[in-house]
Amino acid sequence: MRTYLLKRLLQIIPTVLGITFVVFVMMRSIPGDPVVSLLGDAYTEENAIKARHDYGLDKPILLQYVIWLGKLVQGDWGTSILSGRPVLKDVMLRLPVTLELIVLSMAVALAIAIPAAIIGALRQNTWADYGATSVAMVGVSIPEFFLGVLLLLVFSVGMGGALPSSGWVYLPGTCQTVVCAAGLWGNTQHVLMPALALGVGRAALLTRLLRASMLEVIRSEYVTTARAKGLSERPVIFKHALKNALIPTVTVMGLQVGFLIGGAIVVETLFAMPGLGTYGIDAIIARDYQQVQGFALITAFAFVVINLIVDLTYTFLDPRIRYT
Amino acid sequence: MIPRRLRPGLRLGAISLVLTIALSSILSDAQTPKRGGTLRVSYGNEISNLDFHTAPGYELNWVAMNIGCGLLGITPDGKFVPDAAESWQISPDALLYTFKLRKDVLFHDGTKVDAAAVKFSIDRIMDPATKSSMRVYYERVHSVEVLDPHTVQIRLKEPYGFTLHMLAAYRMGLVFYSPTATQKYTLEDRKSGKPEAVVGCGPFRLVEWVKGSHLVMDRFDKYWDHGLPYLDRVVIRVIKDPVTQMAAFKAGEVDFIVDFSPEHVDTLRAQNPRAQIMTGKETTPMVAQMKVTVPKDAKPMSRDRAPHAIFNDIRVRKAIGCYGIDRKEIVKIAFKGHATPWVGIIPPGTPDAVDVMPMCPYDPARAKALLAEAGYGPQKPLTFELMTNTEKSVFNVIATVIKEQVARIGVTANIRLVDKVTWMNVATQDGPFDMYVEDLASLFTLDQNTLLSHSTAAWNTTRHTDTRIDDYYARYAREMDPAKRKIIAREFQEFSADTLYWNTISGSPFYEVAQPWMKDYVYNAEWKILYKKVWLDK
Repeated sequence: MRTYLLKRLLQIIPTVLGITFVVFVMMRSIPGDPVVSLLGDAYTEENAIKARHDYGLDKPILLQYVIWLGKLVQGDWGTSILSGRPVLKDVMLRLPVTLELIVLSMAVALAIAIPAAIIGALRQNTWADYGATSVAMVGVSIPEFFLGVLLLLVFSVGMGGALPSSGWVYLPGTCQTVVCAAGLWGNTQHVLMPALALGVGRAALLTRLLRASMLEVIRSEYVTTARAKGLSERPVIFKHALKNALIPTVTVMGLQVGFLIGGAIVVETLFAMPGLGTYGIDAIIARDYQQVQGFALITAFAFVVINLIVDLTYTFLDPRIRYT
Repeated sequence: MIPRRLRPGLRLGAISLVLTIALSSILSDAQTPKRGGTLRVSYGNEISNLDFHTAPGYELNWVAMNIGCGLLGITPDGKFVPDAAESWQISPDALLYTFKLRKDVLFHDGTKVDAAAVKFSIDRIMDPATKSSMRVYYERVHSVEVLDPHTVQIRLKEPYGFTLHMLAAYRMGLVFYSPTATQKYTLEDRKSGKPEAVVGCGPFRLVEWVKGSHLVMDRFDKYWDHGLPYLDRVVIRVIKDPVTQMAAFKAGEVDFIVDFSPEHVDTLRAQNPRAQIMTGKETTPMVAQMKVTVPKDAKPMSRDRAPHAIFNDIRVRKAIGCYGIDRKEIVKIAFKGHATPWVGIIPPGTPDAVDVMPMCPYDPARAKALLAEAGYGPQKPLTFELMTNTEKSVFNVIATVIKEQVARIGVTANIRLVDKVTWMNVATQDGPFDMYVEDLASLFTLDQNTLLSHSTAAWNTTRHTDTRIDDYYARYAREMDPAKRKIIAREFQEFSADTLYWNTISGSPFYEVAQPWMKDYVYNAEWKILYKKVWLDK
């Protein structure tokens, strides 16, 4: 297990670097120049040449990447071209927001998917099953931004501000700014709608997947044996069937993190949340190369780490799985 | 002893008196500004950075004019009012502007605002190394001299009728930086919003800027205008989505929305009948610019120019840009009627604007005839590319309407949708385009448009080379008599409508929305968003 873990951890380095390299080259290949955003009305050819020189953008792309990498090794993630703010500091400020959003959206997804899938599988071809499947289909079909707007209209506009429409209140102890709102209740209020908007689509997908796995598992011989031994239905379902059925679901959950990060961009923009999603999209729009690199680095890292955790979860779900 | 018959009358009189006093006291109390409170403001776009003299975008201007102070300000009706300068004089030859400074103006770091500080800020803007977007306006400034600690003199190279406009309002107007703080801290410190580095002399001081989250300004207790500001704090948050902005407004989470989307104004009004919805004359032009020249040697920005294959021909420019576009229909569809169809080099709300719309009536038959004259028709159909960008949804709507309208005269417009930065790159770097739709900068004066349409300007995106435009600008700027300037402006606008190097299709409305409890805010378009006299009645 330890060797496996070490091997996987070492694999993270080339994977993340590979992603950052691809992003680095891609960003410089698409039309647009951060210097144009930076200079605005002051744009002249002369000023642009000076600015490109100041930020090292006139150097060959490969050399720029090596310079970026060299600084990264020393813990310097660079400085945003447009805002002059240190990338690492901004990423660390925004990471807790997005992390919380992603974790809670996944929790929302599971909270909906597990009961719906179990009901669907146990009551196959009944109204309960059709209901769960139909809701899943509707959930998959509703884009995050649309559901987000609906939630806003209901809870913020319709119910007279029952839930806040925008902004963020940090969890106690996670605030890193001078002026900052923090509190558990405020945080819950702020994260609820975004987590629902992001989680429902994933819930729908997981419901369908888990229902199919459950159907397969509950027909397997060991479940029949368990029932034949006289075990009541509850332990059969939750202890024996669900745990095994969760393995493919957990795999998909890991892969879904990528989609959640993508969805976070939309949801954070809609709810005006100071997370990594808005950070990334603002950077891409402004062609703020350093900021894009920071975003790519942290999201790639998060993605591979979460998938590693997912792989390790298999051993908990199925004790027969061993990593060597 | 009061006779019994008079008692009811007296009682009534007394009650009336008490009620009158109580009511008038309530009313006067409601009108008396109250100290304290936090104003929660929402911007639709992020602040780029906090270096006042170089950062692009209006959002920074709206912050800078509250943190900083300048020599003078301007009211919505165009009157210049004192700020750090208590008075000023203009020499008879209009070359010397002498400003007498107040003696009690302090920067937020406690240093004095004196003549040397004024010189420092103007010199910084004029220094090419600063790369200030305001430098172009200061090209007529010869030098700044310190006459004594409280008197500063600006010497011009030639008479310039807009010197005071430049100081009061071009971009954010002249905003001073504390020389001490500016010399102590780096440009990156200022850009990133380090409060010790961003030191002005305005009514509010910077507390914190966290990009993507908030900007906080607190009352500056030693502000020269004693008793002001009324607010303790201003918190600015960016909410990009207009639907979310509306929800936040309806829920009372924000007090003030700057730059509210015109398409959503009716909905917001219906949801919030008591909201203060403010707008005024349209000072930003919505344009459909046509490229006139291209680089002969295929090197962008080359001085060696060749005619653009389609729009260098004035007949085609007029056929499409003038007679082929139904401006009224565009306004009806894209702005739900909340804008003014327009043509000419300045928008309807800019001083000296003249309605030259009759020169460009919607006339498809005339457009077709002109196209035929230029060699286009069923045998040789005209196709061009219409570039627009994703910054505002209204651009795409306008582009689609134009596509429909030109199709009626047998012309195909292929829409190319790009993001804002790509558009800026193509437009400013002489990239390939035929026509683009955009709303360009808010124009405080006709003179200010020099930046965007002088033949040598970097932002002359159509790349016209007609120096008659430059002559008009020079004549207009040199003329000190406002009446004579009006005449030049009219001629210029007629010339512009006739040549269509610049093709305005309408004004672009600007909306601000405030809660009913936000008091004494004065709407002054995009030019001045000032919180100095604002107070909260709640």
